[in-house]
Amino acid sequence: MLAIQAVGLTKVYTSFFGKTRQTALAGLDLAIPRGTAFGLIGLNGAGKTTFIKSILGVVRPTSGIVRALDGDPGDAAIRARIGYLPERLHLPGAWTPVAFLASVARLKGLENAGEAIRRHLARVGLEGDSGRRIGGFSKGMRQRLGLAAALLGAPDLLVLDEPTDGVDPLGRAEIRAILAEERARGATIFLNSHLLAETERICDRIGILARGKLVREGALDDLTGLATRYRARFAPGADAALLASVGFTARGEEGVYVCDADDPAALDAQLARARGTGALVIELRRDLRDLEEVLAEALGSPKAEGDAR
Amino acid sequence: MKAVLAVALDLFREASSRRWFLALGIGLTLLLVLAGLTLRIDVVDGALAATRLFGKVMHTDIRSVDVALRPVFRAAAYVIFYGGLAFGILACSDFAPSLLAPGRIEHLLALPVQRWQLLTGTFFGVLALALLGAAYGAGGFALLLAVKTGVWTFRPVLAGLIASVTFAAIYGGMLVASLFARSAALSAATGGFLFLTGIVAGYRERLDHFFEPGLGRSVFQAVTLLLPRVSTLADASADIAASAPIDFGALGSELAGLLIFGLAALAFGIWRFESQDF
Repeated sequence: MLAIQAVGLTKVYTSFFGKTRQTALAGLDLAIPRGTAFGLIGLNGAGKTTFIKSILGVVRPTSGIVRALDGDPGDAAIRARIGYLPERLHLPGAWTPVAFLASVARLKGLENAGEAIRRHLARVGLEGDSGRRIGGFSKGMRQRLGLAAALLGAPDLLVLDEPTDGVDPLGRAEIRAILAEERARGATIFLNSHLLAETERICDRIGILARGKLVREGALDDLTGLATRYRARFAPGADAALLASVGFTARGEEGVYVCDADDPAALDAQLARARGTGALVIELRRDLRDLEEVLAEALGSPKAEGDAR
Repeated sequence: MKAVLAVALDLFREASSRRWFLALGIGLTLLLVLAGLTLRIDVVDGALAATRLFGKVMHTDIRSVDVALRPVFRAAAYVIFYGGLAFGILACSDFAPSLLAPGRIEHLLALPVQRWQLLTGTFFGVLALALLGAAYGAGGFALLLAVKTGVWTFRPVLAGLIASVTFAAIYGGMLVASLFARSAALSAATGGFLFLTGIVAGYRERLDHFFEPGLGRSVFQAVTLLLPRVSTLADASADIAASAPIDFGALGSELAGLLIFGLAALAFGIWRFESQDF
């Protein structure tokens, strides 16, 4: 059961007279299982927004296949099961949040949505502002309202484009909690965000898009680190040459070394050898990179090469 | 159908928050109240005996009140028709560009609404808005005179409805223009163009003599053949309001042409909208 599937998805934008052509997606292949929290990252112009719009039927592919919830995104019945928060949601300034959500509920075909509207407004922390005009809302409040609109109707797939953009740190934590609840309910989350730390916290699978193609895709743990690599910090005075002789490689930072061990017993033995050189272990953890490093490496940027060196 | 109604309802709500429409509603109400308070008409045995406006006696012949009101209704019909069309073109020019605004159109298209429903809902929302405006203005005026003179007629309302239907056809063209370039100015310019050329098209039989027989006249006839006959419909609505004899066959034909023009514009717009990326 797939939430999103793309096979050879290509989108070429052509100008009105067909003179200029711009390839936004170049044969993208992707399969996202249901129940996943998937984060799509990449540089500006990588094709992320075009891909999101393809999932929603807003953009028609030039070639290839895109399916959402095992159906055609052009089918209204499929879109009824998708909640979407655009990057810059245009909201009617003269309306109240209740009127806006009532309009969305009507267009989603939801009957007697009054209670659901109140519940979702409370969920995103806007219950006290339900009578105010949207025109007076801050950017963060608008994002929260957009999220409430996406949540209406308990969708099976949530497609969120920069959901925490403009939201304060506490608000971000609240949104993360809401997304966790949605995931626990069984919803699939598809997230596009430039805030890589947010993506890391919310998603368990990551895809990296570059020039319209998926250049990396997999579980967050697989992308951010090797299961067999550990990072150890030794107290000042450790002998680097001796540590190198027992399999510890200096990481650049003072006292920080990495080593490889296939299992806990091998790790323990390696640490014992390090202690045998007189080094004192003060910290040990899995050697995980952050998404910024993963992205830089996937895109072949100088930063990634520098880090690798 | 529910989705079309929901889109039309949203357009209504949006219109009610716009200054243009608030100004129209307040302006019409003030005019009617002012006329109600300052116009005094004395009717004796069905004849107009005296008329006072702002307390000043207006010298009129003593004649049957329904006959005396005919030129008033005719003038009102023209004002409602041409004034309503000009107002509608300006006030409604931003609806479609606003619907297509980045951040709004993606959100709407991601909802379980078909593209044709969005466009049809917008079209019918504007039509309903025009009908309501015309019915309020013309109906209020007819009611005011009915209360003051005892002459009850729905003819001015009928004239107002013809104006609304004419505007809907012009709006179809404005909607299509917005789909090619998201611009309120272009939409208004298209409306203005159809309005003015529609006036010319209404007099095409009289005007084509100004062209030399041959290509020029044929082009003029061909182009004006496709346009809504705005001036013919304005004259017809004035005749209806003034209880003048009407060639209902010709009026039906003009209205059918208007319907075809409006629906053709809407169909073309839907075809364009269906193939667009946002």
